[in-house]
Amino acid sequence: MSQGNTEYRDVWVYCEVQDGELTRPTIEVIAGARKLADKMGMKVVGILLGSGLKKIAREPIYYGADSVILCDTPLLKSYQVLPYTHVLSDMVFKLKPWAFLFVANEIGRELGARVAYRTLTGLAADCIDLIIEDFVMYTPQGTKVYKDCIAQVRPDFATRIAKIFTPKHRPQMSNIRPGSFTPLPRDESRAGELIEWEAEIPPEAFAVEVIEEKRLPKSPIKLEDAKVIISLGLGVLKDSRGNPRNPLEAYRLAERLTEVIKQRFGVPAEIGASRSLVYAGIKELEGLIVKDRQVGQTGKTVSPDIYIAAGISGAIQHRVGILRSKKIVAINTDPQAPIFQIAHYGVVGDLYEVLPKLMEMLEERKQ
Amino acid sequence: MLVITLYKAVPARTTKIVTVGGVLRREEMDLVMNPFDYKAIEAADYLKRAFGGKVIALTMGPDFKLKSIAASLYDTPVEGIDESYILSDRRMAGADTWATAYTVSLGVKKVVEAHLSAVDELISLIRGDADPERFAQKAKELYERNLIPNAVYSSLPTLKEATLAERLLKGEVDRGSALRLLEKVRHEVEKFIVIAGIKTSDGETGSTGPQVAEALTELLRRYIPSVTYVRELEADPEAGFIYVERKLGDLIQKLRVPLPCVISIATDYRPNPPLLKLKKRARMFNYAKKVTESVVLNADQIGAKPELIGLTGSPTIVGPGMDIGVPPVQKFVGKTLVLSTRVEEFELNGKKYGPFERLSKADDLPQEVLNYLRERGLVKVFELEDLVDELFGVRVSVAGEHRI
Repeated sequence: MSQGNTEYRDVWVYCEVQDGELTRPTIEVIAGARKLADKMGMKVVGILLGSGLKKIAREPIYYGADSVILCDTPLLKSYQVLPYTHVLSDMVFKLKPWAFLFVANEIGRELGARVAYRTLTGLAADCIDLIIEDFVMYTPQGTKVYKDCIAQVRPDFATRIAKIFTPKHRPQMSNIRPGSFTPLPRDESRAGELIEWEAEIPPEAFAVEVIEEKRLPKSPIKLEDAKVIISLGLGVLKDSRGNPRNPLEAYRLAERLTEVIKQRFGVPAEIGASRSLVYAGIKELEGLIVKDRQVGQTGKTVSPDIYIAAGISGAIQHRVGILRSKKIVAINTDPQAPIFQIAHYGVVGDLYEVLPKLMEMLEERKQ
Repeated sequence: MLVITLYKAVPARTTKIVTVGGVLRREEMDLVMNPFDYKAIEAADYLKRAFGGKVIALTMGPDFKLKSIAASLYDTPVEGIDESYILSDRRMAGADTWATAYTVSLGVKKVVEAHLSAVDELISLIRGDADPERFAQKAKELYERNLIPNAVYSSLPTLKEATLAERLLKGEVDRGSALRLLEKVRHEVEKFIVIAGIKTSDGETGSTGPQVAEALTELLRRYIPSVTYVRELEADPEAGFIYVERKLGDLIQKLRVPLPCVISIATDYRPNPPLLKLKKRARMFNYAKKVTESVVLNADQIGAKPELIGLTGSPTIVGPGMDIGVPPVQKFVGKTLVLSTRVEEFELNGKKYGPFERLSKADDLPQEVLNYLRERGLVKVFELEDLVDELFGVRVSVAGEHRI
């Protein structure tokens, strides 16, 4: 719907729950919403939909929200796009939020897209940051300034990084890539209002029948929590003289490095991979370089203290996934590789030579 | 089944992107089919082979760029599409996902209505007790335009005897059963399915599928389900359902979804082999002709409101692009000059410099300062060992400082 005036208020976060807890990406988005709301003098509102959520209904508040709207009914036990869209759109129409944020995962993408269309507003997908900015529109009729919009920052095919604005419509809706904001610490002393929402859902919205639902075992790979990530790319296939190498060698090197780092420095370390390496389907790396290790736009956004990119040329899709790393180290034989543009430290060289040297040096020192 | 598959043309090379104010100028670039959309065509093709029907490809964009891509889709490794529609209008340019979904849903409605009205013409002929000759004549005409399946009319010698038109001519079928068959044909058109790829390689939003479902919900005034990340697909067209398996993160859902609906196909989808026992049905419900000339429709032809399409109809605006942050300080092993130790504040030619930390970058210092430090042996090349120092902490042996 079009922006009337200042009647649109507050930053909403659609909260996802799994195994009785808010998901980590949800907590991150609450932190992002907090940043916007503080700047605008607004509230952060956690939106919880589902069944049996009463005992955790205050969790969004503990993680930074000011209030929670809870719609708790057995009808919403399984995620289904039609009833969920109905309830959320109804809330938007009645309560008029200024912004509504989702996690950019499978559910958030689908649900956010439908709610945005139904409530006649824009959706910025895959955002990696949100900034309050005035949006200046140049038209043949002159310049128009829209005060205090959200610049929804997302990787863009055309212009590397683009800011998407929804100047004339409210709420401003976006979905946020996991890993884009640092969660606020959980604080049980935080107080806030819990509003229970009575949903009236038309029976036609339950036209889809859930025949079966099951959860796959969780992946043990935790790139999100790693303080040090060593990522491998297609550079593992050849050394600097162009001789083919067994990529398993590189994997074992990276594995030993992460082990040394874990032992010596007591921080979580993990092996990552570029999209091209994951999709190359290399036999030697089967079961080792799996999809859960993929870093980048279609993989994970990571924010370690140290990110070591070994043999990764650094396509834009990869670079946007590692932007929030505190220090980026690039090891590549090609001095022109784009990864060097954003690296804090560059090593022009062969990963098969550099990684063993790194290992030696690390073994010499202790925390 | 009436299967409408959505596809998008994306820039062929990421290096040659033409934009004006953040909006892609597709008409000025080399375009290729979005790779994720091949999965949608595979799924569409499976439904057609298993249950009969036709596959219509629908897209939006400049038609002179899209016609060659559309032509290539008749001829994919699988059987390919039967018909192609291109929504092309200057006013549609610069659309975001909202405006795209609005426009595409109108295109879908237009295609479905064309098929419905073809069947309805035949139904009204039967209801009006038209003579079989006239029915056959009309059926032939619609068949030539690929608007009715073999069950109603066919020129294929193996199927001809079994068609409704032929059986009417021979007096082998009564009015009631003729109507029942036509109602069945109508049912399969009404229970259409829209299939999209999971996302595009340029925008990567994955929003279009669900938003088309939402736009159709508004347009048809009934709930149209959307299902994303479909990796298994089966159908029961007579009952009007599809059965899908989808993966939402680590949650697997098996769903029974009523038609019409919009689904997005995941990259790990593999079509099942069609069942032999359904083969006869599939042949009867297939549309035999292929219309290889793309139908181009403009905004007026699909009844689009000008204020809701293209850039004008897009709630989101792409602001100026920006570069990905180049770190303020970059150091290259074996190349960058750094200070070998901490240097306290000093004066040179009346100007004060420092203090500098050990390993701080020396390349950017004024030449005379660099020379001064160099003469005192305080400048060195950044080494791998120094990199490890900076990242993981300094060895005790090298910590120290230098006073000038």
